[in-house]
Amino acid sequence: MSTAMNFSSKSFRPRAPDKGSFPLDHFGECKAFKEKFMTCLKDNSYDNSLCRLQSKEYLECRMDNQLMAKEPLEKLGFKDLLDKPSQENQVKP
Amino acid sequence: MLLSIFIRESLCYPKNSFLLTSTHSCIRGLQVQRAKGIHSYCQWFLCRRVPSRLNIQKRGVKSRKSQTRSQEDDWRKRNKTVLTYIAAAGVGMIGLSYAAVPLYRLYCQASGLGGTAVAGHNAEQVETMAPVKDRVLKITFNADTHASIQWNFRPQQSEIYVVPGETALAFYRAKNPTDKPVIGISTYNVVPFEAGQYFNKIQCFCFEEQRLNPKEEVDMPVFFYIDPEFDEDPRMARVDTITLSYTFFEAKEGQKLPLPGYSLTSQHS
Repeated sequence: MSTAMNFSSKSFRPRAPDKGSFPLDHFGECKAFKEKFMTCLKDNSYDNSLCRLQSKEYLECRMDNQLMAKEPLEKLGFKDLLDKPSQENQVKP
Repeated sequence: MLLSIFIRESLCYPKNSFLLTSTHSCIRGLQVQRAKGIHSYCQWFLCRRVPSRLNIQKRGVKSRKSQTRSQEDDWRKRNKTVLTYIAAAGVGMIGLSYAAVPLYRLYCQASGLGGTAVAGHNAEQVETMAPVKDRVLKITFNADTHASIQWNFRPQQSEIYVVPGETALAFYRAKNPTDKPVIGISTYNVVPFEAGQYFNKIQCFCFEEQRLNPKEEVDMPVFFYIDPEFDEDPRMARVDTITLSYTFFEAKEGQKLPLPGYSLTSQHS
């Protein structure tokens, strides 16, 4: 990974993901959500903050189709999106 | 050589002085210079005797013998203590080298040298962290494959703008153009290295075997966030771009590798 052999320089250590690995979506069950997310990104010049709703929907799709361990969305950092359900409908592209 | 051994023995063990007298005449006759040289050498290292002993050619007066004996005992005691100290130091060094391993590990964790995970990396903070809205970071994506794996692996977005403290999603795409299922396993790298400790992946597709069936194409998501403490680190003040790079390797052994110089991997876009 990193070839820096100095004693004091930092080297990169890969870390395992917190919640493990995503199972592969072999059947493309969540492909539609992914496409929505990608179009949102393209439209908003790849600004993640504006497309968090779509990413939340994608993860929900994964959870529904057994492609991800079910977890409350607050734990995935979507607390702000859950607090304002009325605004969600307005933000949708 | 025999002569030297004789002399050494006779000098160190006074009881054999009869040998001394008998051999001494021979020595004198043959090689006086050399005998004297060895004699003084031997004295210096082994017996630490005053050279006048040899010239006396007597069994030695009792008082002198007791003196030398007590001196001998003194020297022996001193030698023993010195040897004990040296042995203790040696054992201490060995013990220190064993203890150094956990001690160094502790030191590294405390100081963060060597890129070890900073103690206190909390998986629960995802819930409670607040996005730092005024620090926008550009995350660029890179995809690589090892020469022997024939997947087409590339990111679906070249860059994405995130802020620390906000979770983000990114996609890679992998396609298996061959007619055989291929199992790959990936690892990742984050540049700059120091930013790597702030780059936390909640879930991704690395470090586990991923199997792609023939002609199959899948989307591989990476769900990550940048630790909000990134904004407070003075070393990261000038960092605006972080590059995440994934590399896929083939996991299964026994698969035919392509001939060297002839590669079927297609170009990445």
